[in-house]
Amino acid sequence: MERASAGFRKELVSRLLHLHFRDDRTKVSGDALQLMAELLRIFVVEAAVRGVRQAQAEDMALVDVDQLEKVLPQLLLDF
Amino acid sequence: MEEEQEAEEQERFSSQQRLKAAVHYTVGCLCQEVAADKEMQFSKQTIAAISEITFRQCENFARDLELFARHAKRSTINTEDVKLLARRSNSLFGERLDQAPICQKQTRATQGHRDHRSLVAV
Repeated sequence: MERASAGFRKELVSRLLHLHFRDDRTKVSGDALQLMAELLRIFVVEAAVRGVRQAQAEDMALVDVDQLEKVLPQLLLDF
Repeated sequence: MEEEQEAEEQERFSSQQRLKAAVHYTVGCLCQEVAADKEMQFSKQTIAAISEITFRQCENFARDLELFARHAKRSTINTEDVKLLARRSNSLFGERLDQAPICQKQTRATQGHRDHRSLVAV
C-alpha cells in the first residue's frame, strides 16, 4: 500500500512548531510529529480540493486566488 | 550592541524565510498531486496563498498543542494532544487520523496488552 505521495518532513514540522512554543521545555514526541505531518498534509490537500471544487462550480480552468478566498472561511472554521 | 541585535533579528528573519520556503515547496508538491488528480491547474498565487495560510496555522496549532500538553501536566506533546487539536472537524480528521499508520500501530499495541492480561487472569 505504498502511495508515492508528497508530505511534510518531520524535521520541518518540528521546526515549525518550535518556532511558536512559549516554553523552552516543550517537546514533541516522534509519533505526534508524524501525526502533525499528516494533519498538515490533509489541511493543504483539503484547501486545494475545495479550491478545485469552487473553480469547477465557476466553470474556470484554473484555481485562482479568487476561488481560494471563497473557500477559505469555511476551511478555517472546519479546523 | 545595536548591531548585534540587528544581526540577531536578521538571523531570525532569514531562518523563518527558510521555513516558509520549505513549506511553500511541500505545498507546491501537494497541489501538483491534486492538480493531476482533478485535472485542474493552480495559479502560482494560489499556491503561495495556501502556503502562507498553512504557515500561519502552524502558530495556532503549536500554541494549542503546548497548552494541551501543559494542561495534562506534561512537557512533551503526544498524539492525544494532536487528536484533540483535530476534534472540530470529525469528518476531515476523525477517521483519517485514526487510520494513519502511526495510530493503527498504537491501537494494536494497546489491544495486544489487553489480550495478554486477560490470559494471565484466567
